[in-house]
Amino acid sequence: MSERRFAGLMLLPGAAWLVLLFVIPLGITLAISFGITDELGNALYAWNPENYSRILDPLFAPVLLRSVGYAAATVVLCIAIGYPVAYYIARFGGRYKYLLVALVVLPFLVNYLIRIYAWTAILSDEGVVNGVLADTGLTTEGVRFLNTPWAVIGGLVYGYLAFMILPIYAALDRMDPTLVEAGKDLYGTGWQTFRHVTWPATFQGVLAGSVLVFLPAVGDFVSAQLLGGPDTYMVGNLIQQQFFEASNYPFGAALTTVLMAFLLVFMLFYLRSAGRAAAEARL
Amino acid sequence: MHGNEIERLIAARMSRRHVLKVGGGLALGAALAGCGLGNSAGDEAETTREIEPEVDGDLVYFNWAQYLDPKLIKQFQREYGVEVRESNFDSMPAMMAKLRSSNRYDLIFPSAEFASRLAKANFLLKIPRAKLTAIDDVYPFFDDPWYDPGSEHTVPYSLYLTGLGYRADRVGGMTGSWRDLTNPEADGRSYILDDFQEAIGMANLVNGYDLNASEPDQLEEAKQYLIDLKPDLRGFSSDTITNMASGNAWIQHLWNGDIINARYRVDDPDTLRFQKNREGVPVGSDVFAIPANAEHPGTALLFIDFILENSAQNATWTGYPMPTRSSEKPYAELVKDEPELQVTVADLEGGQQFADLEGEARENWDRVWTEVKAA
Repeated sequence: MSERRFAGLMLLPGAAWLVLLFVIPLGITLAISFGITDELGNALYAWNPENYSRILDPLFAPVLLRSVGYAAATVVLCIAIGYPVAYYIARFGGRYKYLLVALVVLPFLVNYLIRIYAWTAILSDEGVVNGVLADTGLTTEGVRFLNTPWAVIGGLVYGYLAFMILPIYAALDRMDPTLVEAGKDLYGTGWQTFRHVTWPATFQGVLAGSVLVFLPAVGDFVSAQLLGGPDTYMVGNLIQQQFFEASNYPFGAALTTVLMAFLLVFMLFYLRSAGRAAAEARL
Repeated sequence: MHGNEIERLIAARMSRRHVLKVGGGLALGAALAGCGLGNSAGDEAETTREIEPEVDGDLVYFNWAQYLDPKLIKQFQREYGVEVRESNFDSMPAMMAKLRSSNRYDLIFPSAEFASRLAKANFLLKIPRAKLTAIDDVYPFFDDPWYDPGSEHTVPYSLYLTGLGYRADRVGGMTGSWRDLTNPEADGRSYILDDFQEAIGMANLVNGYDLNASEPDQLEEAKQYLIDLKPDLRGFSSDTITNMASGNAWIQHLWNGDIINARYRVDDPDTLRFQKNREGVPVGSDVFAIPANAEHPGTALLFIDFILENSAQNATWTGYPMPTRSSEKPYAELVKDEPELQVTVADLEGGQQFADLEGEARENWDRVWTEVKAA
């Protein structure tokens, strides 16, 4: 067997997996998005583009904008928190480096839904945090953490932070540390060295992390569902509502399709940027 | 910790497997025939299987969380040597979604109007009432209820009414109206049920219409009322027992039994009060039903009988009145100082109940609810 044919065969399981669990479901979603429902709420195939025109209802614009806004805030906070963490692990982790990386990944062994649910107990009006605040005399009344936009964004940051730390860590770990020394030898201050050497060298890692955080955050519904209030409704909640409450799979599928198309644009932008960076690196 | 979310997660895990199977089959079937998705209305023949009250496997049980005394489940498991595999839903539409995606359950607890819809679509097995030993304890009112002529597919489980729960130690100035949801003393700690029927129904009552009002202009008013309510709300949530017990809710739109159930979980139960609102309240009943595709309907029958026999204990634990004579006294004792918590058959006869809306009316209710949430 030639190496080429062998490689082709090795691709089969992965390709079958993708076709079965990605391409076909995507096709079904697309097909249902033009469908109608029967009396029991079952989706039926039909030609009903009204599912798409309904999305243009100005009512839904704030929901979409809010989702993008929360996801963008999540990305910024993840960079602010994640970069120092990754930097510390990569530069000063020493022999504990891999242990620290493992600790970053550890919470992912627990399901996202349960981790977010735990926050409702921690942040509730008579919960753990408010208990500590009251005991130390910092507050008299319970602080209202829950059911606010901050709680939702906090949940998203907590949920997706590792997706930011890992690519930045990988970029920092790959970077030649003598570059930093060179920067300092050229009389660069710590900040200047970071600004002109470390940051550009790890920017692709930040970009990769941002994409990895932004994509799931913009479509998330768990955080807003459990930590949000009546005015934190995200597009993920809107889609989830169509499937589990309104029994309107076609409208839910149309929303899903539009959301995916929107995210695909981001993805293409990222891939082009990453491709260009890789090409420059080869020069 | 409240098991609801975890149960839902487990249910989701289970259903994913089904979705895969169903999804694959559907793609093929649809490509070939270009026909419908999921199982639409079933075959009537499937609803008339002969079933006996005898153990035919573990019970796959699908109910609201905290809506049946867990001690009774343990006792049933011991007595009959079976396991009760429990999962929960948090709304009727969520239950319907699980049923639509071909999950198989042996016993479900729909509300009357959803039972009616399921029965009409041949989704429910006919229940041989004569084979239930405790059936004579059930009020004759349920021999031929509006939602299930001849009581062929359902056995009544409980009665409920919807009102407002509140923390008497935190908020004063309750006036006996639904409009108390905007009571400034609640300081932004009011929740309404995350339930399209209860929310729109409440709005209809406040606006002076019938509970099931479905004219477009009436629904437009309901929508506006709910949207205007949002700035005063902390959230939409049906996790009422947890909300009340955790102190997050000072005013909570809820079902009568949940206030009693929440009292069992707090240090100072007397602070949790219930208000029946003067604009009118929805009353209704929930039922036991066995889906047509149940794998262990025999065990389900035994379970129904067992719960009816122990309905006095169950009424006390859940806080909901049960439709049996034997539970009448214990429940009356439980609410003797709070007649507003009581629901009787007479209340069902004269009260406003959610109807099984059809066609455009149902679509409009769903649409209004989506728009209220999104606004």
